[in-house]
Amino acid sequence: MSEILDTFYQISDKMDVRMEIASNEKVALEIVAGASMGGQRSLTALKSVGLNVASDTFFSLGYTGVNKGCVMVFADDPYCHSSQTEEDGRFFAEYGYFPMLEPSDPVEAKEMVKDAFEISERFQTLVLIRTTTRINHQSTVVPLDPLNRTRFIPGSFRSYNRSYATVGSRARELKSELLKKRDRLQEENENSKYNIISGETSDIGIITSGVSYNYVLEAVRKLNINPLILKLGTTNPLPNNLVKKFLKPLKCVIVVEELSPFLENKIKALSKDINPQLQIFGKESGHFSEANEYNIPIVLNVIREVLNLSSEHDYDKILRVANELKSILPIRIPVFCPGCPHRATFWALQRAVGNKTDKLAFINDIGCYSMLLLNAKIYSKLHPDDLLLAMGATIGAASGVSLASEEKVLSIIGDSTFFHAGLPGMINVSNNNENVVFIVLDNSVTAMTGQQPNAGTGYGPSGKPKHKIQIENVLKGMGFENLVINDCFDAKNCIPAFKNALENSGPTVIISRGPCALWNDRNKRSRGEKIQPFFVDNEICRKCHTCMLDFYCPAISMETTDTEYLDENGKTWKGYSSHISTELCDGCGVCSILCPYTDHENRSEKDVIKPFSKAREVRHDL
Amino acid sequence: MTYNIMTCGVGGQGLMLVSNIIGLTCAEYGLNIRTAETHGLAQRSGSIYTHIRIGDDVFSPLIPYGEADVLLGMEAIETLRYIEFLKPNGVIILNEYIWQPVQSTFDRVIDSEVKYIEFQDIIEKMKMVTNRIFILNASDLALKAGNPLTSNVILLGALSKIEGFPISKDQLKSMIPNVVPNKAIDANLKAFDIGHNMI
Repeated sequence: MSEILDTFYQISDKMDVRMEIASNEKVALEIVAGASMGGQRSLTALKSVGLNVASDTFFSLGYTGVNKGCVMVFADDPYCHSSQTEEDGRFFAEYGYFPMLEPSDPVEAKEMVKDAFEISERFQTLVLIRTTTRINHQSTVVPLDPLNRTRFIPGSFRSYNRSYATVGSRARELKSELLKKRDRLQEENENSKYNIISGETSDIGIITSGVSYNYVLEAVRKLNINPLILKLGTTNPLPNNLVKKFLKPLKCVIVVEELSPFLENKIKALSKDINPQLQIFGKESGHFSEANEYNIPIVLNVIREVLNLSSEHDYDKILRVANELKSILPIRIPVFCPGCPHRATFWALQRAVGNKTDKLAFINDIGCYSMLLLNAKIYSKLHPDDLLLAMGATIGAASGVSLASEEKVLSIIGDSTFFHAGLPGMINVSNNNENVVFIVLDNSVTAMTGQQPNAGTGYGPSGKPKHKIQIENVLKGMGFENLVINDCFDAKNCIPAFKNALENSGPTVIISRGPCALWNDRNKRSRGEKIQPFFVDNEICRKCHTCMLDFYCPAISMETTDTEYLDENGKTWKGYSSHISTELCDGCGVCSILCPYTDHENRSEKDVIKPFSKAREVRHDL
Repeated sequence: MTYNIMTCGVGGQGLMLVSNIIGLTCAEYGLNIRTAETHGLAQRSGSIYTHIRIGDDVFSPLIPYGEADVLLGMEAIETLRYIEFLKPNGVIILNEYIWQPVQSTFDRVIDSEVKYIEFQDIIEKMKMVTNRIFILNASDLALKAGNPLTSNVILLGALSKIEGFPISKDQLKSMIPNVVPNKAIDANLKAFDIGHNMI
């Protein structure tokens, strides 16, 4: 989804498009709804969990309808590649009475978005484009049409003379109109070009939609069969008559859809009257899983099993052999980038926690720092897997744990998440004087999704200045008195503030500030600056491993041959030196602060960790 | 005919650039192509891959197991990690490079008797499924090209020499100036040739 934002970011100035990254999805949906009502076409893009955030406004919008074309692109994430839950957002469309189009590839996605605006205007409704990770994160050649854009001319909300208000008796009237609208949409969907039937007439059929359609097409070709396939592109409201007509002559149908049995249950209901003997293979029959994503092998195996076919493709064997070969591999879990401010913050925090680890509850949140959870073993002192729910949930959950339990509660939240969903929680904390330590990890941008600017960055698309919201001013305004701002790269000097905070009672906030490394690198590149990496002088390294202990920088590894160093006091230091890759080092220098044998304030030849002789270019793919 | 390439490595090694060059070349010369990329939490320093599929019959963005003609590996551990995608006796083009995960370093800090996995251990496993393994020291070769950041294009050059690869060397090379920054064009073109001549 962030790539949609990034692309609009690049074109918004040239194309007379107004583009904003709203502080959260609910605000975004309200903006595009308002813009549509005000007389302009508008679009919002969000992922499954973002739709949860937007849902309050979303349902009302079904009742009120819209004016100019209004489209919402949303993305479900089968396999939870980057989400906290594996949700099936198709139910939102049905529940909210919205038309939903599901593209099966990027070419169809482009066509559908164009049509979605037309449908939206004809039916005066928000139209949903439902995608999944594998639809979004793929590239192919997409033929383009000429752009027919008109200059921006302000609409007139007054002149449309319409009400977009729903409550009580008005809502009851709107609901009956909404149901009629749904029926008209269903009628239209019966003839939609996005519902495609292919294959040879037989008594076997496959119904599918979205990315699964592609897996079906390749699987049947591999199996040398040509069954009837109904690919559905308008999955809400479902073209019931089309589906019934498809089902009627069949003996069996295989339903191929990722996640919940959304289509399958409808197909079951529809077949009851017209073909009660129909055998339906899908999730309830145990052939497909409601979890994880599909691929050609999964789909092929089910079709083969159901139709009792033989095939030379033994995917299970391939996986078995591969797993055996791979058994020697170490795990590689994503970690903070070299130069990441979070690494410095959590090093200092672990130092401050010391042996109080058992008297601590740690409430995590959504952002790059969520990765602590994946690395719970190496950050075990912090218990980063204690609790993680949803964006901004750290604050309420921390308040609850502190009310109920004796541990000192530590809550972390990033700057974007703070703006997104942290503010109501923080007001509650201040108002109720909750006994929690909050660490706001302020890296100036929305780092995890590609370093988009947020309310605290101070600029918007094309670097245009924007009103910068200072987190400390917000918190002071809310009445937080125990508030410290740390420069997280000055790692050692951050420890006292963390220690004090852990001793305090009442709400305490530490803003741990330092720019996102990737964002900072990009800024450096645009200023023509280079990166000054560090290196370990292994002639004098004491092999104490302090630079690796609790720091976990991907640029630092341990040498594989042991060496000895005889110091000026006649002491011999033996073992494996640490090693900094000058290719990977981002030059934050924090490891040289941690090194007990480096004086980072008065650097000299005697230091173990020294600046490397040659600065290096910033990678051009950042 | 479908031609499948899987690229693998560690986040930040420039895999996206490789699939962009291949993808844009296919678009330019009218070949049907579909690519899929890793999507995860922060991808830096994590395991990443792209699926690249070329051919008229391609629909799925994902390569089925056992059907990649080539595994193009920027890093050894992460190339073996996707070995199930390789065709029987398919080609592996591998950068002679191993990037030890932080988790392994953590294990060694706790117990210095623990050893890192070695490049040769990985090659031995790969040899059990194919004998067409081309090993290139892309970092050294990139230095020869004049820019240490061109290791990815070294491997792309090598790929262009593999029998059956559906894009000609010149077509692929001509796309490079459109994709890399101006000041890096010369080094990348040189890197491409160096890689091409290594196979």
